[in-house]
Amino acid sequence: MVTEQTRNQNAQAQNLTNTLITNAVGSYPKPDYLAKARTQFSQGKIDRAELEKLERQATEYWIRTQERIGLDVLVHGEMERGDMVAYFAGEPGGNTIGGMKLGGLVRSYGNRYYHKPIIVDKLTFPGPMTVDMWRYAQGLTDRPVKGMLTGAYTMVEWSFDEHYPSRREAVLDMALIIRREVEELVMAGAKYIQIDEPAIHTRPDEDFDLAVEAMHVTVDGIDAEFHTHICYGEVEKIYPDMLRLPVKQIHLAFKNTDFEYLDLMQQDTYSADKDLGVGVTDIHTRFIEDVDDVKDGIRRTLKLFTPERLWIYPDCGLKTRTIDEAEAKLQVMIDAVRDVKRELQIS
Amino acid sequence: MQTTVVGNYPKIPNRPRPARLRQAINRRDRGEITTDELARVQDEVTVEVIQEQIEAGIDVITDGQVRWDDDQTYIMRNLGNVEIGALQRYLDTNTYYRQAEINGPVSWRGPILVHDYLFAVKNSTQPVKAIITGPYTLAALSLDKHYGSREKLALALAAELRHEVQALAAAGATVIQINDPVIVFNKDDIDLACRALAAMLDGVQAETAVYTWFSNADGMLPRLLDLPIDTIGLDFASGRGNWEALKSVRFDKKLGAGIVDGRNTRLESPDQVSQSIKRLSEFVPPDRLHVNPSCGLEYVPREVAFEKLKNLAQGARLAEGVPA
Repeated sequence: MVTEQTRNQNAQAQNLTNTLITNAVGSYPKPDYLAKARTQFSQGKIDRAELEKLERQATEYWIRTQERIGLDVLVHGEMERGDMVAYFAGEPGGNTIGGMKLGGLVRSYGNRYYHKPIIVDKLTFPGPMTVDMWRYAQGLTDRPVKGMLTGAYTMVEWSFDEHYPSRREAVLDMALIIRREVEELVMAGAKYIQIDEPAIHTRPDEDFDLAVEAMHVTVDGIDAEFHTHICYGEVEKIYPDMLRLPVKQIHLAFKNTDFEYLDLMQQDTYSADKDLGVGVTDIHTRFIEDVDDVKDGIRRTLKLFTPERLWIYPDCGLKTRTIDEAEAKLQVMIDAVRDVKRELQIS
Repeated sequence: MQTTVVGNYPKIPNRPRPARLRQAINRRDRGEITTDELARVQDEVTVEVIQEQIEAGIDVITDGQVRWDDDQTYIMRNLGNVEIGALQRYLDTNTYYRQAEINGPVSWRGPILVHDYLFAVKNSTQPVKAIITGPYTLAALSLDKHYGSREKLALALAAELRHEVQALAAAGATVIQINDPVIVFNKDDIDLACRALAAMLDGVQAETAVYTWFSNADGMLPRLLDLPIDTIGLDFASGRGNWEALKSVRFDKKLGAGIVDGRNTRLESPDQVSQSIKRLSEFVPPDRLHVNPSCGLEYVPREVAFEKLKNLAQGARLAEGVPA
């Protein structure tokens, strides 16, 4: 009898094409019915079962959409998450790490505000936070679905800390919590796990060693393929230091900076034992790149890397785009990869 | 000893109090209210945050910079040959500002802050200080497409913004504070930063201050103390190195001491505030000591900002031996 678990493990273990593997960074836009349901849930108008039903409906939509467009490795789309930190820190409908809660509103920029989480007590593992949704998504498809987590440094950096005497103590305790979640995902059958660290270059001189140490605490000795995604800020300040992160793959937003990172990698060679995740479509623009433009980015990257070492992605999560824009950005990426493979006669 | 603030104050409160300014900006963006109607809400919120600062017990307040999108844009968008561009991360925070693009010689075209200052004074029973962002910080956080050197841009900004400082002084501003945080991030540029500050304040008839935050002035404090400026503001919460820096100089100006962490919700008790003040008074006598949060308070929720200011004021009274 094929249980769900073995089926999920089979999906994770299936042989991938081994060149220019296509994947996405994490989040997709939420359909209107889900956005509305999330508001209703936070107002107490619908219950958690009703919300979960709609989260799963939207997740299935994104699994089918990624299959239809033709991605090799899928993400579940984060339909259940509002914010990548707050989901684990008290967001309505989220799964909250012990010792965290949501604070009042603070301004992010312009007229944008968010509830910034607060560490109010010693951090404790509340039980699996992301496993049910991962298992559900993987159960829908034969292609591997990645486990998606937020890294310890980013979790702490984007929260207030009222409990720990130092950032170091908070980050290392947080890393133990994230590690527990990694273990749960691996037990459920996940082989690919992405640990996002968009805040990792906030204080490169002061804190980069700490961020590396936290990643070691999170992943060392666990049998899975770990990826990390770094975006937004000044990547040049942490290159080549970032190569010390104990992960198999680092994903960077190449398109938004017109592949300038390739210059860094020309000066200091990228790790021979790591794959590179390449963002080839800009998620900050509504405009859909031309397929030739996307191909050009992939070709430029192929001057420094063999296709076996490259995974192809959008720059970042697509949740701020419309559903149509997000699908078009995935489609142009898949079209470009197919063309480049044909031209290079690789499969 | 004086209690004061560094600059901005959270613009919206949390429930059950209504987020009126946020709603008004949304409605203006949708075309449902006019910019004049939005300005009235900004006035009302300014009055509200002035009253909150006073209620907390602060001696010298600001208008809360309620109308400011961020510390750069409010100034830069009013200068000639400047366009406001894309979002950039602000220093080591998770907040963003719009980067100004310099497309030609920057030029001051008329008072930017005078109306706001006069409005605040009219609506405050406590003294108000005028706040303006410093020329070095504005230059460092802009995208220069004209001058080709940060030095030229910073000095040009200083020369143009000198008109603003003069206009504020002419309007009656008795204290003018320059917020120039990037000085302590780019220590190699201290010479330029000091020249720009001196040029901007040249001949101004008012008490002056320069405030820094998020890092320490270790190694450059003697240069700041040489400036023709009355008060030097240092962050003792994020910039722990400022304690050491303080020991190594003869601090003969007024010190604006950021002893309450403006970036964290953890509250300092009045006792802790009082202890920090006692530590500071080994280096600076009370009549030259101003105590304040370590930076603007917009990094914490409104209610936390208020509690922080209350504890600051109570701690200052404790340190002075006055019953709270």
